[in-house]
Amino acid sequence: MARDPDSKVVRPFAFFRAGVQSDPSAARRPILVFEDVYKYFRRDQPTLRGVNLTIERGEFAFVTGPSGAGKSTLLQLVYRKHTVDTGRILFCGKDVARLKPKSIPYLRRNLGIVFQDFKVVRHWTVYENVAVALEILAMPKRLVRSRVAEALERVGLAGRGSERTENLSGGEQQRVAVARAIVTEPALILADEPTGNLDPHLAIDILTLFEEINATGTTVLFATHDHSLIAKRDHRIIGIDEGRVVEARTGLRSWPGAEERAASDPASGLHAVAG
Amino acid sequence: MDFKTILGRAKRGLREELRLYLVAVSSLAVAFLCVAGVLLAVTNLSAVAERWGRSGRMSVYLRDGAQPDDVTRLRVVLEGMREVESVEQLTSEDARRQFLEHSDVEADLAALPPEVFPASLEVSLAEGTSVQRVASISERIGSLRAVDDVETYRGWFDRLDGLLSAGRGIAGVLALLVALCVLAVIGNTIRLAVARRREEIEVMKLCGATDGFVRGPFVMEGTFQGFASALVAVLVLLLGFALLRGHLDASLAALSGTHVAFLQPWMLVALVLGGAAIGALGSALSLRRYLTV
Repeated sequence: MARDPDSKVVRPFAFFRAGVQSDPSAARRPILVFEDVYKYFRRDQPTLRGVNLTIERGEFAFVTGPSGAGKSTLLQLVYRKHTVDTGRILFCGKDVARLKPKSIPYLRRNLGIVFQDFKVVRHWTVYENVAVALEILAMPKRLVRSRVAEALERVGLAGRGSERTENLSGGEQQRVAVARAIVTEPALILADEPTGNLDPHLAIDILTLFEEINATGTTVLFATHDHSLIAKRDHRIIGIDEGRVVEARTGLRSWPGAEERAASDPASGLHAVAG
Repeated sequence: MDFKTILGRAKRGLREELRLYLVAVSSLAVAFLCVAGVLLAVTNLSAVAERWGRSGRMSVYLRDGAQPDDVTRLRVVLEGMREVESVEQLTSEDARRQFLEHSDVEADLAALPPEVFPASLEVSLAEGTSVQRVASISERIGSLRAVDDVETYRGWFDRLDGLLSAGRGIAGVLALLVALCVLAVIGNTIRLAVARRREEIEVMKLCGATDGFVRGPFVMEGTFQGFASALVAVLVLLLGFALLRGHLDASLAALSGTHVAFLQPWMLVALVLGGAAIGALGSALSLRRYLTV
């Protein structure tokens, strides 16, 4: 797809606070590093226990585990909905836990976040829902129009900008959310169960969309508990169980205990892969 | 975020919550109308007080049977004073004629004999003569043989001054109450709007909006509500004033010799801008706790 040359003009946003110079060496570091991260919502029961994890630039990684395992918490710590209790999370080499509240918006401008419940404003048009991410960056209207049109085209909603979002199907609403997440060309996309409210066919469509986005160089962290979805792809898998990380590098085939689980729970989706 | 974007988002918010804002604006307009009404009353009472205070008159009533020489001496004394601009002598007959000319009373009083009305010297004082100086002149003149009594009209003026002070106090208390009421109403209206637009705020915050970006349009909406309420109150008051002016003017002119006046332009501007400022403050305060996402 041909890019509008103007789109290079406003390539964003200082990382932490406007006016702060970014560190050139950050480009060589992993995009996201978790160092011995603990998060407690109850004193006696940590949600995350000593998470150590490195996400390289351009990676596509599934974060999986049962409900309540800590997948969403892991992502929420990255975009500073919550703060780590101990340990560090380095995004582009910067510790996000040490950001002052005023700097959090500038962190989020470098992230694209997609949720299970879409989080689109239903009474806004498709265009307004996507454009809001650029308006926050005070981008000129002409650029906003071209960037939104491009993002909508990438998610398969070209020419539907004027439709009210509430009139779209669930899958289409999630595409709007994805368009909003990618329109700012973020370094990292955090997808928190983005297929959770979609039927299996649409879930595959959305997963494919994230893979296409990843193919352009954007790092994607895709949280899901749907093993049938993970089984269809061969991306890196980061498993979380009771707050601890169990990793597999190359899909479910090498997942610890995959054989046993597939045998005991054919519905888990492991069967097809492990078999 | 630039002003144009804030304005655009505020316009959209006002459009989406039009009914809610109309209810708030009409309630607030009533409150502002009370303040503006009291201000109008105080303004006109001040004009009356100023007119009376500025008139600087003094009536020196002569004793019955005062000797012409004594009266002449009295005139000389008065005319020799720096503060006295003119002295006019009124005989009993002149006083009776003036009374009948200026009063609406009917024939019963017209039968009164001239002796009922004391002869006097009507003294006109220079503008700016202090109250103390008037009192001192009154005391000095009062001790002269030809003088029965001296009327400086201070009693009336003091009573009006007291009324004015009370009016100003009421206006101040009312303005404070209205300010609190505006803060509460606008704060609650914005809170309702925020609750209805929570999803929108969450989306913006997750996309990296600063508190200022989120707050801006709401503050603008609060400002508009305050501004519109005060403006509506001023316009309603102006309409009422235009309709009632004829009746009020006749009464006030007969009572004090002044004409009714509307609020000064600076007061109107202060009322409308004050409304806008309180509206902005109300929405800014109410938003503080809703921005954590």
